[in-house]
Amino acid sequence: MSALLTTSVGSFPKPDYLLKARAKASKGDLSAVQLHELEKKATLDWIAFQEDIGIDIPVDGEQYRGDMATYFAENIGGTEISGLVRSYGNRYYKKPIITGELSRRGPISVEWFKFAQARTKKPVKGMITGPYTMMDWSFDEHYGSRQAVAMAFAKLLHQEARDLEAAGAKIVQIDEPALATRYDELPLVVKAVGEVAKGLKAKTILHTCYGNYLEIFPYFNRLPVDQLLLEMSNSGFDLLDRFKREPLKKELSFGVVDVHSHVIETEAQVRERIEKALTVFQPQKLWISPDCGLKARSVEEAQGKLRSMVAAARAAKKAHGIV
Amino acid sequence: MVHTTVVGNYPRIGDTHEEQKLRRAIARLDKGEITEADLREVEREVVRDVVREQAAAGIELVTDGQITWYDSQSHIARGLRGIEIDGLVRYFDTNTYYRQPVVKAAVAWERPILVDEWRYARDQSSVPVKAVLTGPATLAALANDGHYGTREALAAAFAKALAQEISALAKAGAAHIQIDEPIVAQKPDAFETVKETFPVLAAAKGKATLTLFTYFGDVTEVYRDLLKLPADVLGLDLVEGAKTWDRIAKHGADKPLVLGVVDARNTRADDPSAIAKRVRELRHSVDLDDSYVSPSNGLEFLPRAKAREKLATLAKAASLIGGAT
Repeated sequence: MSALLTTSVGSFPKPDYLLKARAKASKGDLSAVQLHELEKKATLDWIAFQEDIGIDIPVDGEQYRGDMATYFAENIGGTEISGLVRSYGNRYYKKPIITGELSRRGPISVEWFKFAQARTKKPVKGMITGPYTMMDWSFDEHYGSRQAVAMAFAKLLHQEARDLEAAGAKIVQIDEPALATRYDELPLVVKAVGEVAKGLKAKTILHTCYGNYLEIFPYFNRLPVDQLLLEMSNSGFDLLDRFKREPLKKELSFGVVDVHSHVIETEAQVRERIEKALTVFQPQKLWISPDCGLKARSVEEAQGKLRSMVAAARAAKKAHGIV
Repeated sequence: MVHTTVVGNYPRIGDTHEEQKLRRAIARLDKGEITEADLREVEREVVRDVVREQAAAGIELVTDGQITWYDSQSHIARGLRGIEIDGLVRYFDTNTYYRQPVVKAAVAWERPILVDEWRYARDQSSVPVKAVLTGPATLAALANDGHYGTREALAAAFAKALAQEISALAKAGAAHIQIDEPIVAQKPDAFETVKETFPVLAAAKGKATLTLFTYFGDVTEVYRDLLKLPADVLGLDLVEGAKTWDRIAKHGADKPLVLGVVDARNTRADDPSAIAKRVRELRHSVDLDDSYVSPSNGLEFLPRAKAREKLATLAKAASLIGGAT
């Protein structure tokens, strides 16, 4: 039986050649076709890296995305893209503006999923930016209702999930970093994510990060997905005691490396975190992951963190006699 | 005639190459290509640009845009003794994050935190510059307390420390000082903490005009109690906190208000005529001649070009409001 599978949240840093190419393309000095070729090269490099270190559930690395919400909005009708808005530190993103009825122009991430899946025998995750986050991270100049916007996104994203499944995705991850934004809207998150995930045969994962988990805890079991992927390192592992008392009735991907720190965790540090997780969770229901997307790190830092993670998971499996 | 002001933060970069110098400088510092001193110089250039940009848009009382602040919590907290700065936490319902202050020991003020920054902005500005501090109730609510045991005790300690900062700002010549307590608009219960701590701050203000500002929601439950606090001016978010309009109309205000009327959380264009009409409806219950209009909260949640548009809308609305009678 598979246990302690290793995976990633979704994004990896872009190599220098791709960053330079994106800068050139934004000035019109590089064609979209040329940029696309380099995005493919970077994706292949990241797939090869994941194969090389032996990650069980690879991701495509999102080399083609600027921001996770903006990328989806760019491919959905009824939106425009704003100027740069700060997220934290020196991180900025172009926020979507909803200017009319949202409409589906066609598949958004499916071609990239197929491209990545064709290069590995392991199951690549299909990745969707969730409807609540799409709503919360957009300026709404049209609907005037947060619920209406979230549900309009949910209907479109359900089609995207169906298309990913039809393209062969065995796992569909719905990213909802905004989940913990407003506690009074958690029922809306459940409803909107449910709309995206309804009827899917693929394993569904919901990823969230950077909220007060203790306040949203009662909703963890209500989220209509098979697995949660939670940031645990940056939160100081506060949640483990709560999970001891109130067990999670789903699988958990447990974040073991901090994606906001330049410091590369050692194998021993990550191992200790995995052992802590194993005091609460059955290994069969526990996956091992970074806290969040690694795109803000350098390529070397991201690769170092992933290497420590895989090595530590491997050592833990051996120590616990898990095949 | 009603005056114009802003709430605090301002977009630190824009979409032009020139407007992105701070982002480039921070990236270069990370790569070791420039020094901390070089970065400070660029920050100062941006503060100068931002101060002038606000005045050019017709704002009478500006801020330094909090350009040098990493965020609303850690910038002040890291200047106090007893605190370490930890991981990222989401800041209310904005899609922005702050580094969480962790209180490890007794909080104490050691030296001025904002005075040099305020002085520099003032020297660059043709109009008065307001100094802005995050209030003790909000700092205590968003920090991770590993020392005091209760929010109230932590807030009291922050108040004592911030009073010294306010005193230092007033002595340096800051005529306008603002305390931000957004927590009140999120949790009305937090009013009790503000009620306990604000007098401590007010006692240190010297000759400065002290404003208490709440934003990110309405304060209907505590509006009249807020007016009773020893603030010279009360600032209110009337966009996300639109419900507070009725309270103002019904109960009036015995002190000047800052009316946060321009939507600082959405790119949608506001209608200056509609704003002016609504504000003029308050002319019998509020002394508009001594009051201000402002964005609903800091402008950094908008792209820079939109922030400029919002300021222009604000100035236009103020001119339409005209005299109070």
